[in-house]
Amino acid sequence: MNASVQATPRAAPEPLPATRVAHVRAPLGERVAAWRDQHFYSLFSSLGRMSARPWASGLTVLVLGFALALPMLFWLVYDNARELSSGMREAREITVFLKPALDGPAAAAVAARWRARDDVAGVEVRTPEQGLAEFRRMSGFGEALDALGENPLPSVLVVMPKASLDAATAALLGTLESDPATDLIQYDAVWRRKLSGMLHLGQRFVLVISALLALATLLVIGNTVRMDIQARSGEIAVMQTIGASNGFIRRPFLYAGFWYGLLGGMVALALVGAVELALAAPIDALAQAQARAFAIHGINLRVALAVLAAGTAIGWFGAYLVTMRHLIAGRPR
Amino acid sequence: MIRFDNVTKRYQTGLDALTELSFEVGTGEIAFVTGHSGAGKSTLLKLVSLAERPTRGQITVNGRDLARVRSGAIPLHRRGIGMVFQDHRLLTDRSVFDNVALPLLIAGTARAEIGKRVRAALDKVGLLAREKAAPVALSTGEQQRVGIARALVAKPPLILADEPTGNLDPQLSLEIMNLFAEFGAVGTTVLIASHDLMLLKRMRRRVLVLDHGRLVDDFRPEAAA
Repeated sequence: MNASVQATPRAAPEPLPATRVAHVRAPLGERVAAWRDQHFYSLFSSLGRMSARPWASGLTVLVLGFALALPMLFWLVYDNARELSSGMREAREITVFLKPALDGPAAAAVAARWRARDDVAGVEVRTPEQGLAEFRRMSGFGEALDALGENPLPSVLVVMPKASLDAATAALLGTLESDPATDLIQYDAVWRRKLSGMLHLGQRFVLVISALLALATLLVIGNTVRMDIQARSGEIAVMQTIGASNGFIRRPFLYAGFWYGLLGGMVALALVGAVELALAAPIDALAQAQARAFAIHGINLRVALAVLAAGTAIGWFGAYLVTMRHLIAGRPR
Repeated sequence: MIRFDNVTKRYQTGLDALTELSFEVGTGEIAFVTGHSGAGKSTLLKLVSLAERPTRGQITVNGRDLARVRSGAIPLHRRGIGMVFQDHRLLTDRSVFDNVALPLLIAGTARAEIGKRVRAALDKVGLLAREKAAPVALSTGEQQRVGIARALVAKPPLILADEPTGNLDPQLSLEIMNLFAEFGAVGTTVLIASHDLMLLKRMRRRVLVLDHGRLVDDFRPEAAA
């Protein structure tokens, strides 16, 4: 207390007339702060409410986790298949196995003949020795080959067509096939087309399954929140009579939906991680046996974040739909 | 503060709860509404708080025609009214403090301000020491006082009470009523529905008497004296 205050004692502040107080709104900054407080409060109180019933909430979250994990696993299978096939996608060359009777110079002559054609861009000769070396390196059957004593492989010509059009290539294929030097033709384009058709089907399958399971997630969260609303309908009625806006009443339920979605997404990621872990060893062994540089990839950060975002968005939306319905039903007439 | 002009409320069941009701309650006035059960007391309060809308007639509260208050604006309208119920309707899963703080939380009052106002309201009803208690741990009279603290914490210009002493003994009832009488002294309008005639007599306040939805008496002790 300083001297000046003592000298002029202030009167006790008059209470504002009650009629006016109710219509004076707090300054914007204060209201924003209060709004933020309310959100933080709802965010954590809804989490506390869930942890008060750990079994029920846990089961719901697990169901959501499985519903979100399934499309992710399907997507992984699809994406890996797509990636594996993409290495072959560019291969346009036609592999021609010549008759075993043709020796090195004869093979070179056939190559020269074909190189002269208008519709051929180039021909590469692979001698039986090169083929053997390659086979030895890739298949791991080195010892078995040694036991053969002589090289059973024919000369191989790799023909690169000039045209990228299927029709032109088909004509070239026909010519090469009827050539007397040809024993067997291997052209990847045909089965590649089949593969891309299957991949397309796989993609559609993943999309449909994802949509169905997203809907299931929406229903599970909606139903959980609906039961929560029923359990607290008395509380909601009290809040409405004392002037709570729809937004205020809806908020804790929306955050509950948010948490269900987020936690469900996290469980889904954990499940996918566990599946990856369980499959890692056999896939590695398979890759070793194939002697091919193929690596199965898992969920990356972007996909993980997308799954979490989708989960929370679905949770929020499900809760929104259900609370909306409840609030509309409770309007005065 | 409250004005009814030829207000009729017919429920969808065909029941006429109120018929051509007209009256006015001034600012800072304390008025009782009485009558047999089913006379329309609760309906009258529900019309003021917009829990129901009238079938015919005009209701004005605090200068605002309630017919012009749209559904979205009802919460705002109710924030200007403190409501007290016979069964007090406290939220049992939170403390006395949190119950009283609810209207302020709803109105978006700053946190520091909430603490001050809640304690002031609890002090007024004599329950400052019980702020951390759970509502179920309180006696019926104390629970009702918490309900009153919740109604007055936001300093609404109007307080509506529906049978606030319905579950209380005469001594407690009188205490509660005197509490309401104090609000009138600071400019708050109070409208109390009650069928406790003995109590009304002792309060010496204005009494609106309803019978089968019609206003049959508007008793003013000042005028009679």
